[in-house]
Amino acid sequence: MFDFFFKYPASVFAKGQFVLLASWPLWWMAALMVVGGLLLAWAVWRQRKRVAGRARGLRLAALWALQAAMLALLLLMLWQPALSVSTLKPQQNIIAVVLDDSKSMSLVENGSSRKQKVLEALNQGLLASLQKRFQVRLYRFDGKLERIEKLEQLKAEGPATRIGENLAQVVAESATLPIGAIVLISDGADNSGGIDLETLNLLKRHRIPVHAIGVGREKFDKDIEVTDVLVAQRSLEDSRLSAAVTLKQRGFDNTKVRITVKSDSSTLSAQEVTLHGGAASQTEAVVFNTGPAGLKNLRIAVEPLPGEENPHNNAVSRLVNVESRKPRILYLEGEPKWEFKFIRRAVEEDRSLSLATILRTTQNKIYRQGIQSPRELEQGFPSKVEELFGYQGIIIGGVEAGYFSVTQMEILKQFVDRRGGGLLFLAGRSGLSDGGWGRSALAELLPVILPDRKSTFRRDPAQVELTQAGRDSLICRLEEDPEKNAERWKKLPHLADYQDAGEPKPGAVVLVQALPTSGGKLPLLITQNYGRGRVGVLATQGSWRWQMLQPVADKSHEMFWQQLLRWLVQDTPGRVVAMTPKPVLADETKVVLRADVRDKNYLPASDAKVTAQILGPGGLAEQLELAPDPLTPGTYLAEWRAEPAGAYVAEILAKRGNEELGRDVVNFRREDGVAEYFGAEQNRELLEKLAAETAGAYYPVSNLSKLSDQISYSEAGISMRETKELWNMPALFLLLLSLRAGEWLLRRAWGVI
Amino acid sequence: MGIRSGMGSLIALFVLLGAGYAFQQQIHQPRQRMFFEEDEGPLPIPPDANEKTEFIFARLRYPSFRGGPLSWAMRGNWTVDYPKADRQFVQGVRRLSRIHTRSVEHVVDLESDDLFNYPWIYVVEPGHWDLPDHQARKLREYLLRGGFLMTDDFHGTFEWQIFTASMSRVFPDRPIVDIENSDPIFHVLYDLDERFQVPGIIRFYTGRDWEYDGVEPKWRAIYDDQGRIMVAICHNMDLGDAWEWADAPEYPERFASLAYRIGINYIIYAMTH
Repeated sequence: MFDFFFKYPASVFAKGQFVLLASWPLWWMAALMVVGGLLLAWAVWRQRKRVAGRARGLRLAALWALQAAMLALLLLMLWQPALSVSTLKPQQNIIAVVLDDSKSMSLVENGSSRKQKVLEALNQGLLASLQKRFQVRLYRFDGKLERIEKLEQLKAEGPATRIGENLAQVVAESATLPIGAIVLISDGADNSGGIDLETLNLLKRHRIPVHAIGVGREKFDKDIEVTDVLVAQRSLEDSRLSAAVTLKQRGFDNTKVRITVKSDSSTLSAQEVTLHGGAASQTEAVVFNTGPAGLKNLRIAVEPLPGEENPHNNAVSRLVNVESRKPRILYLEGEPKWEFKFIRRAVEEDRSLSLATILRTTQNKIYRQGIQSPRELEQGFPSKVEELFGYQGIIIGGVEAGYFSVTQMEILKQFVDRRGGGLLFLAGRSGLSDGGWGRSALAELLPVILPDRKSTFRRDPAQVELTQAGRDSLICRLEEDPEKNAERWKKLPHLADYQDAGEPKPGAVVLVQALPTSGGKLPLLITQNYGRGRVGVLATQGSWRWQMLQPVADKSHEMFWQQLLRWLVQDTPGRVVAMTPKPVLADETKVVLRADVRDKNYLPASDAKVTAQILGPGGLAEQLELAPDPLTPGTYLAEWRAEPAGAYVAEILAKRGNEELGRDVVNFRREDGVAEYFGAEQNRELLEKLAAETAGAYYPVSNLSKLSDQISYSEAGISMRETKELWNMPALFLLLLSLRAGEWLLRRAWGVI
Repeated sequence: MGIRSGMGSLIALFVLLGAGYAFQQQIHQPRQRMFFEEDEGPLPIPPDANEKTEFIFARLRYPSFRGGPLSWAMRGNWTVDYPKADRQFVQGVRRLSRIHTRSVEHVVDLESDDLFNYPWIYVVEPGHWDLPDHQARKLREYLLRGGFLMTDDFHGTFEWQIFTASMSRVFPDRPIVDIENSDPIFHVLYDLDERFQVPGIIRFYTGRDWEYDGVEPKWRAIYDDQGRIMVAICHNMDLGDAWEWADAPEYPERFASLAYRIGINYIIYAMTH
């Protein structure tokens, strides 16, 4: 339709430059318009008496405006308007037809695969019409670009789709070849996170238009996709972990599905969830137990439902390294109390925690338990950094702040801030406010603003209740099911005592509240991160009643304390921490290894020599050195290519001279043939944007009739300028006719004929 | 009847006549009253009796064994030394340790769940207890949850048998063993390597530190699966009397001192293990 009225396609108008072909000066046209306008005004004025009614002036003006517009249009046509547009010279340019040959092109939709639809479109005229006017070069691509001679070479088996990288390679060939345009045929399901700005700028600089042909369904009718799973990369043995599973679905509104977490053949968790309505993603927390030590290759899946169009995108893999280490916790208690005994008992049942305790039994004596040598804690609470930093967590029971020296206070602060340890304060006659902690040097670390008064500790009963954050927290998870868990907390025996911990600070999280029988609510368990570490306050010393007042088979007390203390220590870093941002490489090979290296005092070590010893599948062994990151002291980076699929382990060793600062292990895994099934709907937005940015156009594969005509308008390759006359456009004549007809109709209506 | 058995009967007759004579002499010639026989009247309630504290001395009330000789059966029950021993002992606990302790005791039994609020309980004269099955089950549950039981003031073979008859209903499959000197219970506060028999006030009647055939003091225990003492058994000694009469100049200080040390060690052990 557009072409009929305006003679040329819209792209010609977009790319062309407007010109007037007549040789007469432009000011003549302007002068004639002014003179003509005045004469028309005079003629209309003379007819004023024939115009009746109150709006006579307006009617006269309208008549004059229509006549003047017609005159102006005629004058414009006399000056011969035209478009100057750059077009490719026939048979002298190459059109690069770049075909997506990745696995997602094999997806079958409406009885035929995406690849078949592409072949049909090419064979039914598109290729022939292009070849008539241009030289055509065929390329296939997945992760890499490859020139092909025949369409039969397409297999649709490529493990990845990297549009940006491969287009950049085509552009690189244009340095020696007259590439006039690129025809990209793809579903746009790119695995590299889109097309980067650099590639777009490269295409723009070379003025090569990319005409994108979109293949595949833009929206599946029925599909569930696991779009992401976030889970900790490390864990202690027998820990509860939470995997945040993000789902996207179409066509299964309000349907119940089962999310499973499997390690090898054993199922660690199976949770039923209801899919939300609408297209928005939903995230579900799935809790599971990591079990014994070892590297766990977890498969997190939504069990496929009948009728799913793409059942291959229902599962993803994640690696979790379940470590057999036993973090050490130092617990200082100010006086004998039942809580102390039952905390010790709970930890004794946990094979992943180790507890050393100091108890002030009398005014002059301390009693040590859980020590590894007679000299450990011989002088009481540590006063030296090396001694204190040997622990991963500290618990301060009912001990007054004045018991600690200035040095001890300072290293306690550094323990959390710099070393990244966990610090937990418990209630007591000499704890929290009553022990003067609100005015101590450590008040800044606390997740609460303690009341500025004494006598906040009360030996009165209080029930407990989870907050919303507590419901979500693994510390408080006594039951897998969140609802049952909240109910179980409500039914716990009342605490023997509680303490007013004051107001939570901004950024702190209240997990549990105390409900004293006297009324009101008080924050009971509050946590926050501080520096590299974390701090918690548990405003009671009476949770032992959960043990004594419940049957011996009930493990509420033990589970709570084990989970609380695991939270306290499991993220406390060692002197060397190795990591990789992507422990599972789905159809990609680039591995980034990163190590944070600290010295004995946990200060960043910028002068270390850091090496990685990598072991991979098939006996692969390689050593590489990590380079310091100039922006972050103590951080070292390296990039490496993991070519064969399989499991890899990298041991990072940091040395300063001959002194070993520490070592750590990071695991990663390469998988093939996975990524293509995710995000497999046609990414039309990406293709349209790519075409628009490069002055090309987007076409659905079902409608390619205009492509071969429009592809000519390009400034790349070998091109020439063409002039497209516009004066004889049907649209202009139609406009002239409309102006004249409009005037005539108005005159009739107003009786001015 | 042979000559040997006839002689035995004759000797028994003389012993019986001698004992009867001595008893007559005691009636007709009143002896000096002992310090522990003076009537002190009911103990006053301390002003801080209702203080809420971490530790409370909990005394176990139990049903008594009704078999055996009448004179024996009338002698012992759960109230022996109550409440003076309890209150004098906790005064020592307050003075000698950091344990926040109430000044008065609390009586618990095995019928009520109130027991579970007191993770340390004391039972006197368990050589006289007779726990029915349901009470034995409750005591077992209490101990397995983490409760601690200290027994005291029972002596000799016969009372041991009475004690174990009930205890075997509590733990049919757990042995009673002697506590090694190296066990933390003897070192948690005081080092108690050198222990000796702590006599009750019977010493002032008989001049002996032991009762019946309980000549040798025994510190025994029942352990849980993790090697922690659940039941600490003080056999052939009377720590309760030592606490009760620690304020009497007549009662030797060394016995009272050891009794306090054992009691405090047992409490701190129960609060740390």
